[in-house]
Amino acid sequence: MGDLGWGASARELPIFDAHVHYSHDAWERVPPKEAIGLLRKAGVKRALVSSSNDDGQQKLFAEAPDLILPSLRPYRSRGDIGTWVRDDAIVGYLEERLKRYRYVAIGEFHVFGADADTPVVRRAVQLARQYKLLLHAHSDAEAIERLFRQDPGARILWAHSGFERPEKVREMLRKHRNLWCDLAFRNDHAPGGRLDPDWRAAFIEFPDRFMVGTDTYTPERWHYLGEHARWSREWLAGLPEDLAERIAFRNGEALFGAMLAPH
Amino acid sequence: MKRLAWGGLLALGCAVPWPGGTRQPALIEFTEAEVRSILQHGPWPVPWSGDPSNRVSGSAHAIDLGERLFFDRRLSATGGVSCATCHQPDRGWSDGRPRGFGLAKVDRNTPSLMNVRLHRWFGLDGAADSLWSQSLRPILNTKELGSNAGHVAALIRRDADLACRYEKSFGRRPPADDEALLVDAGKALAAFQETLVTGRTAFDAFRDALERGDRSAAAHYSEAAQRGLRIFVGKGACSTCHTGPTFTNGEFHDIGISQFVRPGEVDPGRHRGIQQVTAGRFNLLGVYNDDPTRARATGTRHVALEHRNFGEFRVPTLRNAASTAPYMHNGQLATVPDVVRYYSEIDIDRLHADGEQILRPLKLSAREATDLAVFLETLSDYAAPWRGRKPGDGPACR
Repeated sequence: MGDLGWGASARELPIFDAHVHYSHDAWERVPPKEAIGLLRKAGVKRALVSSSNDDGQQKLFAEAPDLILPSLRPYRSRGDIGTWVRDDAIVGYLEERLKRYRYVAIGEFHVFGADADTPVVRRAVQLARQYKLLLHAHSDAEAIERLFRQDPGARILWAHSGFERPEKVREMLRKHRNLWCDLAFRNDHAPGGRLDPDWRAAFIEFPDRFMVGTDTYTPERWHYLGEHARWSREWLAGLPEDLAERIAFRNGEALFGAMLAPH
Repeated sequence: MKRLAWGGLLALGCAVPWPGGTRQPALIEFTEAEVRSILQHGPWPVPWSGDPSNRVSGSAHAIDLGERLFFDRRLSATGGVSCATCHQPDRGWSDGRPRGFGLAKVDRNTPSLMNVRLHRWFGLDGAADSLWSQSLRPILNTKELGSNAGHVAALIRRDADLACRYEKSFGRRPPADDEALLVDAGKALAAFQETLVTGRTAFDAFRDALERGDRSAAAHYSEAAQRGLRIFVGKGACSTCHTGPTFTNGEFHDIGISQFVRPGEVDPGRHRGIQQVTAGRFNLLGVYNDDPTRARATGTRHVALEHRNFGEFRVPTLRNAASTAPYMHNGQLATVPDVVRYYSEIDIDRLHADGEQILRPLKLSAREATDLAVFLETLSDYAAPWRGRKPGDGPACR
């Protein structure tokens, strides 16, 4: 492991936030400089950011390329959440953005069950393979299985760990070596800030596969970044130091950190 | 869905069918499911039950003392504002402002106090778990009364009339402990507020007629209100959260209303409320709970702080809501039709995909929107404004 820029004894664990949005309504209420300031104040060292439309995270990336890892959302507006899987125009949108900008992932997108096999989703999977990008999927387990059947070499970050029970998450992680999980917008792994035993077992079995995330789905949630980071550090303190650092930062850095490095 | 014949109402406990089985034209034929939903909004009023955490709950002396304190500006740091500055009797115990104004402008709309004793959590963020502890919050808030325990205690001790009424209420002279006396003032204020109950409404008359199977009486309820009621319990799914006789589940939800109070600052709502109620020294887990069983403290002991709580606010009662405009935690909606329009066109982009899944734009027609608004208006009693005494009114305490 290289020098990650913080000591093991550092009091404030740095955070890789794997689930940040910066959509159109956020740009005015939380302008880019303020947004970057909130991330830094929370101790977030890197953030996987997507937005609807894509201009939002490009604004942030321009402001802080050291901090922002852009992910391309297949939504021109958030209203596309429920329709994108059957909207052929999304394909052109993705292709055009991928030609113009650099990304580390396609997502976060919402797809469930058999919808994962629609032509639009299939094309998104192909584009991820072509551009060597992760897929950030807000999906049930069935959709994850379908995505992997389309491309067994795909790398998928499972948003919210599918809101699945830890037993199911472990089952999926055992089955798919290229599956990672974010823990955004869920509390069951650390109710009251204390680790759940079943989740603890999952973290110990798969120390390299979990990341934390805030999910700033409204502009107001940018003001929750600090509280979320505090809460994350609270429950991570219940893990061995090395494992806590992995989930807090190193797993995300290992997966995404070098993707935007100069060629 | 099966339509309900009046015989069906008998099965639901209705005593009197409409004579001859004929249909009253002005009466909508509600389904069995709709009738069940409607009946759960009553009967009204609900029976009295005291607050075991407050030893003077229901005490006539404490109600009297609490009423005097409620209107007494001397409670405030400046002597310029009282509880009634924001909770005005002739404005439905609110103030008609988007955001309250005590010693300064606050960040939230002033909630009505009508039926407040029936809440489970108090304040729009539920930062208090009893009415008496909630009553202390505005006293101590620098933007509201800006007071402190010493100031309140000194007032009660110094004022012979208040001290006398305190002794009648609590069976002892005002104690030397400022904080204990402040808490007792909160308990007297709570005893008074427990008496603020809305009266029976046109809806209640309809609901009870429905339960009795009295079609003639039920038909007095306007057809527009009935249509609106059908939306309320059906297509609108409003009764999912606005449930029971009080038309609230007493819990907290995020309906997408802005949390920004000013640029760069947001109202965390229930998220901070949970942090405050669990950490607060005046909560039901503390020494000031008069109930040795601590039965009502269970919720405080077990309430869980979750990410979804950020931006949630308490579901308000709809009884007498027509008298408490403007609406929402920040008072951003001016009228009942505005509220209906908000839900009709709700922006689901502001809700988490795995959050409040019941909320979808209702896409009401103009007539449906009017009907729903008409129904909501029938939840108000439009009784004569409350007329209480003023400080100094009535004979002195002896």
